[in-house]
Amino acid sequence: MLILITGGSGSGKSEFAENLVLGLHTKPYLYIATMYPFDEECHQRIARHRNMRAEKQFDTLERYTGLKDADVSGYGTVLLECMSNLTANEMYQEGGAGDRCVEEIMAGIRRISGQCRHLVIVSNEIFSDGIDYDEETAQYQQYLGKINREAAKLADLAVEVVYSIPVIHKGSLEECGKAL
Amino acid sequence: MILVTGGCFQGKTDYACNMFKIPKEEAADGALCPLEELYCTKLLYHFHEYIRRLTEAGQELSVERLKAENPGIILVTNELGCGVVPADKFDRDYREKTGRICCRIAKEAGEVHRVVCGLGTVIKHG
Repeated sequence: MLILITGGSGSGKSEFAENLVLGLHTKPYLYIATMYPFDEECHQRIARHRNMRAEKQFDTLERYTGLKDADVSGYGTVLLECMSNLTANEMYQEGGAGDRCVEEIMAGIRRISGQCRHLVIVSNEIFSDGIDYDEETAQYQQYLGKINREAAKLADLAVEVVYSIPVIHKGSLEECGKAL
Repeated sequence: MILVTGGCFQGKTDYACNMFKIPKEEAADGALCPLEELYCTKLLYHFHEYIRRLTEAGQELSVERLKAENPGIILVTNELGCGVVPADKFDRDYREKTGRICCRIAKEAGEVHRVVCGLGTVIKHG
C-alpha cells in the first residue's frame, strides 16, 4: 500500500505518520531520513524527530539524494520523511538530479514501494502563504507540487494533516485498515 | 474548547461568530487585547497574532491553564506553516510554535472547524 501524508510545517504530520505506521502492524519498520544536517537548527529538528521515534522500533536509513538506489528489501513498512527535503537536496546538492528531480524521485518511489509492503511518504504543503518567491524557489514549489500530485495518483490513501487532525483527500483510513 | 482554522481572509471570524452566536464586539482580538483576556473571553480571533505577541514577550502559553480557567473558549487562528521555510529565525520559530500550540489545542478541543471561502467543515467532531 502507498500512503501520502502532507501538511504544513508544525501541523503534526510526522507524529500522525508514525502512529499510522504503527497501526499498519507490518514490521520491520524503516525510516528514511532525508534532512541534511546543515546547521544547529537542523540538528535540533533531527533530534526532536529521533526522540519521537524512540521506542517505536524503526531502523534509520539516511538518504539525501538518489532514492531509487536505496535498498529497502526485507522491510515491512517504510516511512519516508520528508519529500520537501529530498526534493531540495536533489535540486541543490552536488550529484543531485537537478532539473530531473521529479522523474528521479518518482522512479525512487516506484522502486521502493515495490520492495516493501507499505510505503508511507510524508510531504509538505508549501504552496499557500501568498508570498511571491524568487524564481528558483518558485521552481522548487513547482517540482514539489508535481511530485505530490504524481504520488497522490499512485497512492491508496492521501491525507492532509491540519493541526493534528487528518483530512482525507483520497481513500479512507477504514478501508486501509481492512485491506491489511 | 473549539478551534476554528483556515487560511487568511476566508471569513473565519464571521463564521465563528455566526456559528456560535457571539457578537463580534464581545469577542477579543488576539492582535490587540490584553494578554489576560485569553482566560476570560468567550471567543478570541487572530489567535496566531496572540501567539506572536506572546513569543515577542518571551512568554509561553499554558494550554493546561487555559483548559482549567476557560474551557469553553472558541479560538480562531490562521493556519500557518503552508509556505516555504522563512529565512528569518523569528518567523520560523513563531510559525513552528503556532503549529505546536494549535496541535495541542486541537487535541483538547471538542470540535475543530476549518474554513475555506467562508464555508466551514467540521474536521473533528465532539
